Amino acid sequence: MKENKTYVEEGDRSFYDFRYEDKDSYKVASGLTPDIIRQISREKKDPDWMLEFRLRSLDIFAKTEMPNWGPSIEGLNMDNIVTYVRPNTERMHTDWNDVPEDIKNTFERLGIPQSERESLAGVGAQYDSELVYHNVRKEVAEQGVIYTDLESALRGEYADMIRSHFMKLVPPEDHKFAALHGAVWSGGSFVYVPPGADVEIPLQSYFRLNAPGAGQFEHTLIIVDKGARLHFIEGCSAPKYNVANLHAGCVELFVGEDATLRYSTIENWSKNMYNLNTKRAKVEKGGKIEWVSGSFGSHVSYLYPMSVLAGKGARCEFTGVTFAGAGQNLDTGCKVVHNAPDTSSYVNTRSISKSGGISTFRSAVVVNSKAHGSKSSVSCESLMLDSESRSDTIPAMDIRTNKADVGHEAKIGRISDEAVFYLMSRGLSEEEAKALIVSGFAENVSKELPLEYAVEMNNLIRIEMKGAIG
Amino acid sequence: MAQDLLKVEHLAASVEDAEILKDVSLRIGRGETHVIMGPNGAGKSTLAGVLMGNPAYTVTGGSALWEGEDLLELSVSERARKGLFLSFQNPVEVPGISLENFVRSAISQKTGKPVRVWSFRKEVKAALETLDMDPSYAERDLNVGFSGGEKKKAEILQLLLLKPSLAILDETDSGLDVDAVRTVSKGIEAFQADKSASLLIITHNAAILSALKVDAVHILAGGKIVAEGGPELVDKITKEGFAAYEGEA
Amino acid sequence: MEITVNKPLAETFGWLQAGAKRIDLQDKIQNISYVLGPGESRVLFLEDPGASEYEITLGEGARMDLVQLREASGKVLSYNNVRVKCGDKAYFGWYRVVLGGSESYDNCSVTLAGKESSFSANVCYRLDGTEKYDLNCEAVHTGKRTQSAISASGVLADNASKLMRGTIDFRTGCSGSVGNETEDVLLLSEEVRNQSVPVILCSEEDVVGNHGASIGRPDEDMLFYMETRGVDEETACEMLARAKIDSVIRKIPDELVQEKIRDKIQGKTRSRILGGE
Repeated sequence: MKENKTYVEEGDRSFYDFRYEDKDSYKVASGLTPDIIRQISREKKDPDWMLEFRLRSLDIFAKTEMPNWGPSIEGLNMDNIVTYVRPNTERMHTDWNDVPEDIKNTFERLGIPQSERESLAGVGAQYDSELVYHNVRKEVAEQGVIYTDLESALRGEYADMIRSHFMKLVPPEDHKFAALHGAVWSGGSFVYVPPGADVEIPLQSYFRLNAPGAGQFEHTLIIVDKGARLHFIEGCSAPKYNVANLHAGCVELFVGEDATLRYSTIENWSKNMYNLNTKRAKVEKGGKIEWVSGSFGSHVSYLYPMSVLAGKGARCEFTGVTFAGAGQNLDTGCKVVHNAPDTSSYVNTRSISKSGGISTFRSAVVVNSKAHGSKSSVSCESLMLDSESRSDTIPAMDIRTNKADVGHEAKIGRISDEAVFYLMSRGLSEEEAKALIVSGFAENVSKELPLEYAVEMNNLIRIEMKGAIG
Repeated sequence: MAQDLLKVEHLAASVEDAEILKDVSLRIGRGETHVIMGPNGAGKSTLAGVLMGNPAYTVTGGSALWEGEDLLELSVSERARKGLFLSFQNPVEVPGISLENFVRSAISQKTGKPVRVWSFRKEVKAALETLDMDPSYAERDLNVGFSGGEKKKAEILQLLLLKPSLAILDETDSGLDVDAVRTVSKGIEAFQADKSASLLIITHNAAILSALKVDAVHILAGGKIVAEGGPELVDKITKEGFAAYEGEA
Repeated sequence: MEITVNKPLAETFGWLQAGAKRIDLQDKIQNISYVLGPGESRVLFLEDPGASEYEITLGEGARMDLVQLREASGKVLSYNNVRVKCGDKAYFGWYRVVLGGSESYDNCSVTLAGKESSFSANVCYRLDGTEKYDLNCEAVHTGKRTQSAISASGVLADNASKLMRGTIDFRTGCSGSVGNETEDVLLLSEEVRNQSVPVILCSEEDVVGNHGASIGRPDEDMLFYMETRGVDEETACEMLARAKIDSVIRKIPDELVQEKIRDKIQGKTRSRILGGE
């Protein structure tokens, strides 16, 4: 296969690149047909409406064209992707000790149990397609917070709530991979925070792919009700394979009146991954969505979290960093739609390109005629570490009222030789000096993250920076 | 009795839900110079802003009459055209519009007639000389790149050219060195030369008042007028400060 | 005749439709070409002929300032495509003043091929009614130590709409280059539509690129200040609008041309500004 060429030279990522033998008990055939969809649906014990939804989505998927404006996804052979891989665990585990040993080792190396013990409210870890470990700290549950896997929630007490929200924000008609997601989605989390609840400790989930050629289509649905607060952290790290891998997840966030949701992600997919993820939030009156987004991994990314500011005074803050190294083409950014009066958006992103990596910042800010008194400010900075790499900035603004203030700033440049010289004069090596400067450049994101994540992110930057010299 | 130019009664106003002005009454007649003094945060600038119609303030009570007409009902530019002027503490920079063109437009809006260019230029030149300003200021974009002192002088320049009936000078002397205070004071004197011109000077510095005729002094503390008197009150404040009044607010 | 115009160097999301357009030209395209030899210098003042394509080649050290005015009113479509190639140390200045016309399509693509060549674009527009303006401006840096500055400043009133795509493209090898782009749009009505897509493409490490944009109504503090001197809001907005156009005209390096354009504008804006001149 040609795709094997996607293997690239990298710095020492061995810490993240480990895997265990594929012992999956069950796989569906490659390629997508209505029969496969029925098989998935039956296996998942979907309610009838979900089966219909999947089949309708498959139909839309077949009819929809590939996007014609982003990085090439020619290396992605849809027929070759096994969309559904079920790990060899029989049921959900709420006790760490019950998790199978090989899966446990994988997570152990990622440090999940420690961080859970120390500061995290719960862990929902998706191993391949099923949620294998799940636990919410008692005090969070006592506040009435629901944090569970989406599939069992579909059949439980919250079934109606899920039905009225599922893929309403990201309909399958949105684009080809949203349709694919609608057809084959599997696993993911459901969080409901009741009115007024303030979840002080962040909830956290980890997703991983482990089977060669497996696609991952998890769905995250979060509803933060009136006046409630939540910080949700999504962390990703996957082993590397030389066959194209696809991630087409979907995140739908509903932020109620005066509610606040912070959604943080450090994405570190292996560098053969096609990450075609769709994330969207709808924010009601006085509510606020805060996106904190770090994109480090994957071969190709299309990632533009979108915020729909639907109620008066709704706010959006987006803070992002993207690091594109060798063999990577990361097309990231965000979209904001101002649909109500007095809404505001604040976007601040950084991107770094190195060793032939391509990073593109692509954004859209739309201020509709109803959005009187709205404000938007977008600022993006790019750093070029060498001339083999590429960094593009493509921001779009569409303003349909004069009762708005919209500002935009973009900068592109390189590491200052003087800064490197200064640090070297204080005893740092050139490599350390540059890594330090790049970490500083990405500080807009790291300072928004809980400490252990900030440390992990700076480690990733250090790993990426190795080999940048000479 | 001649009608008051400005008659303010029990005026109260708030900014973002905080009540700053509580009860202010004032009467200013034609040709009179009034001084408002008071500690920081007393509401002096709020009073100036409310009279001029700054949208940041909400009037919550009382009245302000301009020659018997409700001033508070008028738009900002209507107030200006009636003859009210406010000198800003921090005048805004207006790129692309020269000082001279701006004032000329303002005058022609007030009179409804075009301004005669040559006689106006002469007038601008004379006013610039009074204020020791370089003639080039007329051509420069309004306030753009002006220093703090230059901005204050440019405000007085506009005062001299627009010839309002009542000028409110909001701490025009703050942040100025001794020479600049003297120059600005000279400009105000020139304005006072018109016997019907009235002034409301907000300050906490007696220096600017030394060369000016003062008719009445009002002490504002905690949003209320707490004392009133003649010019002798200025000397008293200079010696004793505001401590005696702050408790009364 | 149908032609495709203003195809951008970079696509936005499909749904923003900021891509190329097919338009139907009523007029024949006039092809005009200029070649300036080493050290030659020219200022050209041209009023829009309707549909035109310019091919301009500037030799070493040559300088050209192209001033283009469009002041048509009524249902007139215009298409204006300027392509320039700059040699070593050559300079191209584009001054574009658009004061109306139901539909205007402008493209200005400048390739800074020679070392130390430079390009400066100064665009201003004032659109009323249902006028539409579609502008694509590109600075392609291929030579070393090249400089570009794209600046657009305009006013939209009534139901006017404008789309501007400004692209600075730093190609590999253009080390030491600098590109700046600024956009400043004053919106005077609730019904206007403004689309801006300021793009920086970069495949060279040793460059500096900046973009800044500010879009909206006039600053409230500024309006209040002007109103305190007796200038009502509408007039204040008109004065600011006119100042925007004037700031571009002031930069034209030929006073006779400046005067000619001011005379043309006078008729159009006199009625709007009381006592302006």
